[in-house]
Amino acid sequence: MTIAQQQTQPGFALLTNWARPKTRAENSPRVLIPQTLEQIKRLLLRWRRDQTMVILTLAVPIFFLLTLNTVLGQRISQITGHSALSGSVPMIAVVAAITGSSAGAVALMRERADGLLSRLWVLPIHRASGGLSRLAAEAIRVFVTTVLILCAGMLLGFRFHQGPLAALAWLMIPVIFGVAFATLVTTVAFYSAGRPSQPGTTLVEGIALISTLGFFFCTGFVPLQQYPRWIQPAVEHQPMSYAIEAMRGLSQGGPVAWPMTATLLWAGGTLAVCVVPMVLGYRKASTR
Amino acid sequence: MTAAIALRPEPSALQQWWVLTVRSIAPTLRNGETATAVAASVIFTAGFYIPLKDFMGAATQGIASSYGQYLTPLIALQGISFASISGAFRAATDSAAGINRRFGSMPIAALTPAAARMSANMYRCVVGLVIALICGHAIGFRFHRGPLYIVGFCLLVLLVGLALSSLFDLIGTRAKNPEATTPLLMLPQLIFGLISVGVQPAEQFPGWIQPIVRNQPISQFIYALRALAGDTTAAVSSPTWSVMTPTYLWILGLFAIAVPMSAVSASRRP
Repeated sequence: MTIAQQQTQPGFALLTNWARPKTRAENSPRVLIPQTLEQIKRLLLRWRRDQTMVILTLAVPIFFLLTLNTVLGQRISQITGHSALSGSVPMIAVVAAITGSSAGAVALMRERADGLLSRLWVLPIHRASGGLSRLAAEAIRVFVTTVLILCAGMLLGFRFHQGPLAALAWLMIPVIFGVAFATLVTTVAFYSAGRPSQPGTTLVEGIALISTLGFFFCTGFVPLQQYPRWIQPAVEHQPMSYAIEAMRGLSQGGPVAWPMTATLLWAGGTLAVCVVPMVLGYRKASTR
Repeated sequence: MTAAIALRPEPSALQQWWVLTVRSIAPTLRNGETATAVAASVIFTAGFYIPLKDFMGAATQGIASSYGQYLTPLIALQGISFASISGAFRAATDSAAGINRRFGSMPIAALTPAAARMSANMYRCVVGLVIALICGHAIGFRFHRGPLYIVGFCLLVLLVGLALSSLFDLIGTRAKNPEATTPLLMLPQLIFGLISVGVQPAEQFPGWIQPIVRNQPISQFIYALRALAGDTTAAVSSPTWSVMTPTYLWILGLFAIAVPMSAVSASRRP
């Protein structure tokens, strides 16, 4: 059998050096970005195709904003002398970020149960791309939602008075908040004792309840002075209130520096505490 | 061959229903579902009462003896609504995990699994209601009419719970998407609660929305519950037919939508 004949045999492939696919080490930083982008695309596509999720993250928050503005808007404006929207639009943006990331955490748990995480783990993919793509997809999702909520707020009469840069910063706050919250929720999800075959009911409901509690006790719901004195410190210093106050300052005017710093401290603190357990949890979930 | 036929079991629908009910209820104590039902009622009480007491209290003066008295029917409804949402999450999980499909291949009546989920939901609703009443008592809610009306109040809340459960169960089963069910139903629950007469009288809302506020189901339920609970002020109406009829009609309407659709959904072989 000559070489030419051999080459025509079925199943034979001659790979010369130049034709060999170029492989990089799977942990090379140069593959991290394209692989992360690919997985971001996957996550966002899934989100977009899931009708329930789209309604949940886009339509429901806008209805919620309309409701709050109808029920409480006028009276809050009377009390504070400012438009109530300066507080309620940020609050809805933050609530939407929380709601979406809790849904994301359960989706992650389901992918663990389905074995997708383990499958991705055995492929030559950069280890960091999985976790990173989730947080990045979360950030993009929150950004899109925030822009839409902002549009609805604009229609109701919400305005920026501090210039375009402040407006840009305003848009970034829910994103920062959302990414920090997603990190927290993902970490808790990895360590919560749900049966692996089933996403933990308690986890989802726990998040729903805690975010409801946060919503009722933050300065975007009713002004701080409306709360009884004993609970005011808790309301004032919780992360949602700081984010809302920073956003209020950036749109309507008022103190920005301290609420902004506090928001960043809350977000940075959450990230600092959760990042290592999250990475370990991700590894554990992928290799179980 | 004849022996095989003779051995063929004859399942009793009642027993099957009971087994499936226990299957839903037994894990709730272990996996924290009961705990979240308790927490939900407490959180709704604190969340509506503490921020809104001063904010809305002035508007309800003269109408109710205290803001706690005014608010508690809404809290009871929010508690059972959350219980129904828990049930929807379970239904969605079952649906996604394929157990409904397996039931479909077994000698079980089409509606038995749904009926079992309903009885588990009633258990959740009872927990929610009891905690809501305890919390209500703590913020100053009292029954003013006597034991028969107390029973009526509880039964009406549970009836609403059953109606909501059948509707949410349908949504959960159809959505097949456990991760989105809870938040998807939770925000509408708050929206309906906030635009009802549960937090402030209808006259306090902007004019254009008042008809909606007055006539939406939650408000009608609240009128009925307030009438059954009674109050020391003269403003509260007594539970006459004109107060109660819209509530019964809404409940009937909810059932009329949910039950046939559940039947269709349960008998369909996927």
